[in-house]
Amino acid sequence: MNEDEAFEYAKNTLRQEKITPYHPHEFETVKSVESCINCGLCINHCPVVAAVGVDRFSGPRSIAVELSRSPPEFWSTADIVYLCTGCGTCREVCPKNVNIPEVVNLIRARIFEHRPDLVPKGFHNLHEVLTEYNLAFKPWDDIEEKNESRDMRLERLGLPFIEDRTLEEAEVLFYPGCQAEERAQEVREAAKVILDYFDVDYAQLNEMSCCGLPARLMGDHKTDQVLTKHLEKKVKALGVKTIVTSCAGCTSSLSDISNHENWGIPAVHLLEFLVEEIGLEKLQSAMKDSSATSKVHVSVHDPCHLIRHTSRQITEYALDILRQIPGVRVTTSEAYDSCCGGGGLVSYHSSDVANAVVKENLEAIAKTGTDRLVTPCPLCTAQIETNLFKAGSSVEVDDLTVFIAQKLPKKG
Amino acid sequence: MDHTCDLLVIGGGMAGLVAGSVASEAGLSTILLRKGQSATAFSSGAIDVIGYLPEASEPFTSPKEGLTAIAGLYPLHPYSILGYGENIEPENVVSEIIGRTQESISWLKKNLRNTVASLYGDFKRNIFPITILGTTKPTCLVQKTMYSETLHKDEENVLLFAGFQGNADFKPTAAAKTYLEDRISLGEPPRRVGNCTLRVSPFSKSYNVSSIEIARHMDHESSIDGLAEQLKPQVEQLGATHVALPPVLGIRKALANRQNLEEKIGAEVFELLGFPPSVPGLRLQLALDEVYRKKGGKMFVGHEAVSYERNETNLTRVTARTPHREVKIKPKAVILSSGKYIGGGLRGDENGIRETIFGLMTVTDAYTSAETIVPSRFTNRIAISPEGQPVNSCGLTLDPHFRPVDDDGVEWASNLYSAGAVLAGYDYSVEKSGLGVAAMSGYSAAKNAIDFIREVT
Repeated sequence: MNEDEAFEYAKNTLRQEKITPYHPHEFETVKSVESCINCGLCINHCPVVAAVGVDRFSGPRSIAVELSRSPPEFWSTADIVYLCTGCGTCREVCPKNVNIPEVVNLIRARIFEHRPDLVPKGFHNLHEVLTEYNLAFKPWDDIEEKNESRDMRLERLGLPFIEDRTLEEAEVLFYPGCQAEERAQEVREAAKVILDYFDVDYAQLNEMSCCGLPARLMGDHKTDQVLTKHLEKKVKALGVKTIVTSCAGCTSSLSDISNHENWGIPAVHLLEFLVEEIGLEKLQSAMKDSSATSKVHVSVHDPCHLIRHTSRQITEYALDILRQIPGVRVTTSEAYDSCCGGGGLVSYHSSDVANAVVKENLEAIAKTGTDRLVTPCPLCTAQIETNLFKAGSSVEVDDLTVFIAQKLPKKG
Repeated sequence: MDHTCDLLVIGGGMAGLVAGSVASEAGLSTILLRKGQSATAFSSGAIDVIGYLPEASEPFTSPKEGLTAIAGLYPLHPYSILGYGENIEPENVVSEIIGRTQESISWLKKNLRNTVASLYGDFKRNIFPITILGTTKPTCLVQKTMYSETLHKDEENVLLFAGFQGNADFKPTAAAKTYLEDRISLGEPPRRVGNCTLRVSPFSKSYNVSSIEIARHMDHESSIDGLAEQLKPQVEQLGATHVALPPVLGIRKALANRQNLEEKIGAEVFELLGFPPSVPGLRLQLALDEVYRKKGGKMFVGHEAVSYERNETNLTRVTARTPHREVKIKPKAVILSSGKYIGGGLRGDENGIRETIFGLMTVTDAYTSAETIVPSRFTNRIAISPEGQPVNSCGLTLDPHFRPVDDDGVEWASNLYSAGAVLAGYDYSVEKSGLGVAAMSGYSAAKNAIDFIREVT
């Protein structure tokens, strides 16, 4: 047997033993686990532990330790690894930078590959939708109905309709993400209103294609790669210099992809684009003409994918922007940066856990005495809005993009 | 995006937050970078100034006594640096060290008043709170919920150790036994102790219950009522005058919970010192964060300092990274309080011990280079030994202004100061001096940095 044959032979034995060797891009994550000093600080801060207790969810440390101490029989963690909402709190508080959210993805990927029987049922359906439509949600059957729903939303919110811009070339790609494309259409429309108001040279994809985050979160490595490649082609064909998105998850996911696939195209949230490219001065002078002068008392929810997976500076921008809008008063909620429970696809199989996590936010929002919650993420918006409604709260929830667009004066 | 500020603090533990708060209080614009929770959050929460000399078995009765000994025996200890300031007469060195340390400890106590970690004790004497093992340890300040003034005063006192079912952190039977043996050998009260196990079920299970869960549960309305109901008959049966609980009385409401519980059961209640990561450590961290923010300091959480730019004399810019973004900060002065091995300010591997951000010179406790010291060869075989661990004494060495120096003894940059566990010359675990050195050096480094900034502007 020569060396190559021996290598192939060994690889096949691994397959038989249901072992997937680490990919080079996973090395850094795996290596970070070596730094774990078992201190347990992450357990004190994990919002899932706080919501359901260590007996139900043994916490981030156990996930890291499991990976560092045991042979790669990752299936043994299946009862807990799917309860992580991927909020990234553990990584942020970890003194040793152990990348636990990525460890979770890595373990889920091994389980998905070797023990599909242990993968939550809901994920298999999601896999079907992702592979069939390149979207996280089954698209509308009837495009007319989709447009009607969009128009109703625009009318309710008092937003103008801006035609889609599917250009051949542009400076900026506006990428709404699956939630704003298929469900919260008002967010996509509001972002267009803002970009149009400031005369940004932007284009949209001729057909929306998922960034792959949901596939990554359920451990569906293959689908993730297919989606990433598919999107790369589309983005590169447009020759854009920046990707602007209104979704927190897409911001961190696209930043991640663009970074390790060397796209050379930065992906930013609309809030960053407003502050860093358009500038607060322009926004301020625009808001002077705002006709929406009614007073509103808001609190802000910080999405995990923006603050902990991208940068906390982005929600500082959110506050800077809100300061420019007349009549807006902001009160900080005690749980302003606590996970809404909507992450990590937990609600696909354990909605009791997801809803227990959001409870902390609901109680803190009630305490603020505000009449509205704004958040720069359509997924957080949906999760918190649904749960506030169920709890009988009168607090309204707005995606921050929609909130800003509503306050802009009519373009004249 | 770029930021400018007067003072940049790298590290958000005791040293960094004290430094940042002192600077903000003085009206400087301050940015603090924190890449993760600190060793302060991990600690038991007790503010030790100085408990022991290395290899000594008798604790110091007061910080003053300890600092006098340190000043005489360890001229390069962080506390001793206070004595090297300009215009200090040799005969005043010790009183300068004591005075300046006292000033920083008093500042800390004053500023933590009315927070979730308000403190008991003062600089005049060491106190000896009880740990969850039933032993005592010398310290200067503990949180108000963690000490009983009256326990050792009356011959008739009876102490009840109360643990929680399913909480593996604390075994009341073992603690009661150790504590009683200790008291008998000292011939001091209390002469009677007892123990009991209570049930709290934050998630309707009475097994696998962590301390943080119990503490969170205690902050909920009426949790104390349930606890008092179980505790009262036990107190009455034993005739207990005092009750010792593990440190789980609450995160936000521990002090109010203590008072409430005392009223309901008719006995004095206090928390024991716990193992890391402890709830009091978390309370201390939250309280220090709040002090810093209230004084107007800006905190960049999740930001790790990764690189820097400098000119001939000064550090000019520091770049900090988050998972997907970078910020550049232009400060007038910088305080490095990045911690030791837990905090990540120092890193030791087969190539030696290094300071992680600026590559500053590291030294051992004997002030020889630590740059080629292999940690495994600089470690005692016995984990907890009175001699301590030599690796713990490695770190940075400072000039009298609290600026790290190079191998020629000159400051590395004229605007870089340092404080906290990243410093060399003391082993906090043996001396029981960790948070005291952190507070003192954070306070002193900030005072020097403030003077420097005022001079350049």
